[in-house]
Amino acid sequence: MLDERELAIHPIVQESVQHNARTVSNIRALTASLFGVAAGTLGLESLPGFIFYFTGTAIVSLLIFSLKAEQDAKSYFFRPFSDLWAGDMFGGLMSFVLTWTLFYGLCKA
Amino acid sequence: MGLSANVLNILGLVFLSHASYEHSLLPSAAQAPPQSSILPSVIDPNINLPIDVVLETIVSVLLLCAGVVLSSPDLKPIQWNVWAGRLERSKDARQIKGFGQGGGNPYAALEERPGFLDIRAKRKEFAAWVKDGGQGDKVQ
Repeated sequence: MLDERELAIHPIVQESVQHNARTVSNIRALTASLFGVAAGTLGLESLPGFIFYFTGTAIVSLLIFSLKAEQDAKSYFFRPFSDLWAGDMFGGLMSFVLTWTLFYGLCKA
Repeated sequence: MGLSANVLNILGLVFLSHASYEHSLLPSAAQAPPQSSILPSVIDPNINLPIDVVLETIVSVLLLCAGVVLSSPDLKPIQWNVWAGRLERSKDARQIKGFGQGGGNPYAALEERPGFLDIRAKRKEFAAWVKDGGQGDKVQ
């Protein structure tokens, strides 16, 4: 697919790739904690909570795709599937669980 | 863009804190609700909350997501030709700050290095200028 010849014809700006990855991971970290707050407030337990998280990250991916990447993931991400859609899916899971349990305890207690 | 994103963020935070505050006041939320008849028991959310609290939470989280995405810095194009084209057109990058810097050309340092001077043409120009007796503008 994207081999050396393709890269020689269409070179990639490394700085922009790093900038985009940093921006996306910042958004993911922030929104993961927010989903934790929401899941705890809703009082979700076990599997529905994780389903809520994965639905939320999919929505955030869609928002990035439509608002920031101008519906053209190919020109902003080197590998659109792993960098935008699926890559950081598990990155925010720990902060999600942290705020989830915190707000679950705060609301139930 | 920045202002509307901040407004979205603030609205979302206010609604989210209000929803969780309301939830913490409800005594009925601790009791288990009746089983759902449609969903299988594994993915049944087991929420015993008034519908307005649930809706407020979900709407506020969606608002916050949109706000966070909008307020984050813009993505940069990764293809070199798109990136360099944008750089050449931007007013900020066109200012020439020093030798080989700015001018909107990322290859300026390569294209303007002294090795590319046509030294024979310069010598001819200088000879003509000397023959003139040093009058007139010296051609650069």
